Amino acid sequence: MLRVEARHPLGALEIDVELTVERGECLALAGPSGAGKTSVLRVAAGLLRPEHGRVEANGETWLDTERGIDLPPEQRRAGYVFQHYALFPHLSAWQNVAYPVRGLKPERRARAIGLLERFGLADRADARPHTLSGGERQRVAVARALAREPDVLLLDEPLSALDARTRAAAARELGGVLRESEAPTLLVTHDFAEAAQLGDRVGIVDQGRIVQLGTASELAAAPRSAFVADFTGAVVLTGVASPGPQGGTRVELDGGGTVTSTDAAEGVVAVSVYPWEITIEAAEEEPHGSAENRLAAEVLSITVVGSRARLGLAGPQPLVAEITLASAERLGLKAGVMVTATWKAAATRVVAA
Amino acid sequence: MVLLGTCAVGCGSDDPHRLVVSAASSMTVTLEACAPKFGDAENADVKLSFAGSDELAAQIRQGAKVDAYAAANTKLPDELYADGLLTKPVEFATNEFVLAVPEDSDIQSVADLTKEGTVLVVGSESVPIGAYTRETLAKLPPAQEKAILANVRSNEPDVKGIVGKLTQGAADAGFVYVTDVNAASGDLKAIHLPKELEPQVAYAAGVVKKAEQPDLGGKFVDGLTQGDCADALGDAGFGPAP
Amino acid sequence: MTRAGLTRAAWFPALLGLCLAAALTFLTLPVVAIFVNSSPGQLIDSLGEPGALDALWLSLRTTAASIAIILLVGTPAAYLLATRSFRGKAVAVTLIELPLVLPPAVAGIALLAAVGPSGILGGTIEALGIELSLTTASVVVALTFVASPFYVRQAMAAFTAVDRTLLEASRTLGVSEALGFLRVMIPVALPGLAAGTALALGRALGEFGATLMFAGSFRGITQTVPLAIYDRFSTDFDSALALSAVLVAVSAAILLSVKLVRGGEALGSAPR
Repeated sequence: MLRVEARHPLGALEIDVELTVERGECLALAGPSGAGKTSVLRVAAGLLRPEHGRVEANGETWLDTERGIDLPPEQRRAGYVFQHYALFPHLSAWQNVAYPVRGLKPERRARAIGLLERFGLADRADARPHTLSGGERQRVAVARALAREPDVLLLDEPLSALDARTRAAAARELGGVLRESEAPTLLVTHDFAEAAQLGDRVGIVDQGRIVQLGTASELAAAPRSAFVADFTGAVVLTGVASPGPQGGTRVELDGGGTVTSTDAAEGVVAVSVYPWEITIEAAEEEPHGSAENRLAAEVLSITVVGSRARLGLAGPQPLVAEITLASAERLGLKAGVMVTATWKAAATRVVAA
Repeated sequence: MVLLGTCAVGCGSDDPHRLVVSAASSMTVTLEACAPKFGDAENADVKLSFAGSDELAAQIRQGAKVDAYAAANTKLPDELYADGLLTKPVEFATNEFVLAVPEDSDIQSVADLTKEGTVLVVGSESVPIGAYTRETLAKLPPAQEKAILANVRSNEPDVKGIVGKLTQGAADAGFVYVTDVNAASGDLKAIHLPKELEPQVAYAAGVVKKAEQPDLGGKFVDGLTQGDCADALGDAGFGPAP
Repeated sequence: MTRAGLTRAAWFPALLGLCLAAALTFLTLPVVAIFVNSSPGQLIDSLGEPGALDALWLSLRTTAASIAIILLVGTPAAYLLATRSFRGKAVAVTLIELPLVLPPAVAGIALLAAVGPSGILGGTIEALGIELSLTTASVVVALTFVASPFYVRQAMAAFTAVDRTLLEASRTLGVSEALGFLRVMIPVALPGLAAGTALALGRALGEFGATLMFAGSFRGITQTVPLAIYDRFSTDFDSALALSAVLVAVSAAILLSVKLVRGGEALGSAPR
């Protein structure tokens, strides 16, 4: 079990964080750059001493500013994977992995090779880091952190340095490694999708604080603020709410248009809806279906992602919709075409602006 | 360099002539004082170069552009003359070879130098002061000579080095010229040697054969025997020409 | 490109080439002249003369000793300056670099004023029973003084260039800072450290002025090769040439070995 509490000034912000990660669990801290997430990781590792803080791992107290306890990193059994891997350039892959291992050379090498095999890198054991690809280096870095047999795993943006193509495979592999490992894992990323894929729970970090903590689907389904909604990929529209029909809420959107929501709210609000909850109809079509919310918009862009099409729309406020490629083709969508974006009132969440 | 070149091409006779003089270290203070007077009188810009006389002779052999050469012995100028590099040397002064010790030293004679642990600094073999030293010590009984030489802890390339070591307290004694002790303004005292040990120290000078300013050089050499520089040498403690 | 364009462009590379040719000639001619002015046979004979061998051996011993001191004390010092900031750091760095800009004669005076018999610490040194004046030890002192900034500066630059996260990684992997210094910092900074050592070595081997003033010149005790060359050149030019040739050869060997250390390992410092 890993418990981290930290209060520390960081530039103009103050970091104020409290979290617990259970055995076998991976908690992903997600947030924009500069939010202070990496600092939390460094506090856990002992690379940053907060003004006030406590770190407990596996029953051991690693840090307690009240009691003056501060174990240096080398005495904390944490496996840290750096954003740019920090592989030792003068050592081969196996020597990097064997670095934290004590003992005689044959045993160290055997252990390192064993770990490299798990990552499919046994044949690159004698290669120097600068000859390895980005993905290979990432795996060596993870293997090296595991070689320490750590009580806790700390990962700093483990996938961000990889190109898009390698990232998908690396994410799957890393996910597998994390599931196998019993060590509580704290992972930091600026990409919500990555957090959702790798983390059992996700904490959204904004300006030094965890603003919401829960599973990825909880966060997506019920974002507590516009920031969380936006960060998790929702469309956020601003407006003024007043009580509406059937106990719901009617929101007058800034810039024009009205939407209804099944949530109750009043005053200045933000409403969020996820792109995949939006349906696109041709502008001239008669309204059909049970979607209560309708906004006219012009197609600005179409991006094909696999078998889906992501549409950038210009309405009274910007919108993003995700529909099947087939639908997009059927509607003859391209830039400049006017359409109607529709979605259900139930899919419309009112969040604090 | 560029200035020298342009001057060589077409200097007006009104511009001061450049005179290069190589002189033994022991004459540093004296010549630096009297050379400007010579320069004013003869409308010359005198450039003085001081070092051990042996080094200066070697430079002249290597073709250094020197007009006049003044050494602390007669041997080096004679050698240059024999090799056709210098005009017939003129002896212009003598100096006294002495044993110099710090002002507060207990050492009173050359015999005291045989004491074990005495730190003695002398000139290297090829520089006149070093040659005079060895010549003098050779006149002593062999056992004494050996004991004294065993106390030598540095062979300096010129007298300045010896004086420096003495004034710094790094040496207990050193063989220099009486003019050096005079120039050290009270830090050192000179122990005069018995007549039978005294070497003949004669300073000789000549004009370098390939000089650019042979006439001016000649005048400078003459001035060492009679004139401002001769007077200055006398004031410093040099003896008159033999 | 038009004809006019071609002509206009060509004069600049030509000028560059001319400058390079001039530089090369100026720098190599004196060195070549050393070897050309005397036959190899004469050179070897001169080397055989006992004074020459004494000078060579003394130069090697004293340079080795001073380099050892410089590496032992200078490396951790450079590491501290490179990785920590503290009040007065800029002053400390300037002080360390000072001997670099001091003319050797001034260095000699400085040493005399500090640790010479009449110097500030002279009395203390004598009281401790240490014999520094006109001894081989004083040669080592002079060499260390003039050569250390060459190494420390390079070492500082080399350590600064090492990616900080490498050291952090080492600590998170259970290796203490001190051990990490040996296992990571030094190997990664090695090319820079080697270059610094070569510079310091060259400077120490060639040191003359400060040595003469502070340590004196006595065969086998304080007369290093540069002092021996100076002693000989007026009387035995061949011997001076021979010793100079040896010094040139040794310096060239040092430069080459540094090139090998640097070239063999194209190590990165910043993350790729």
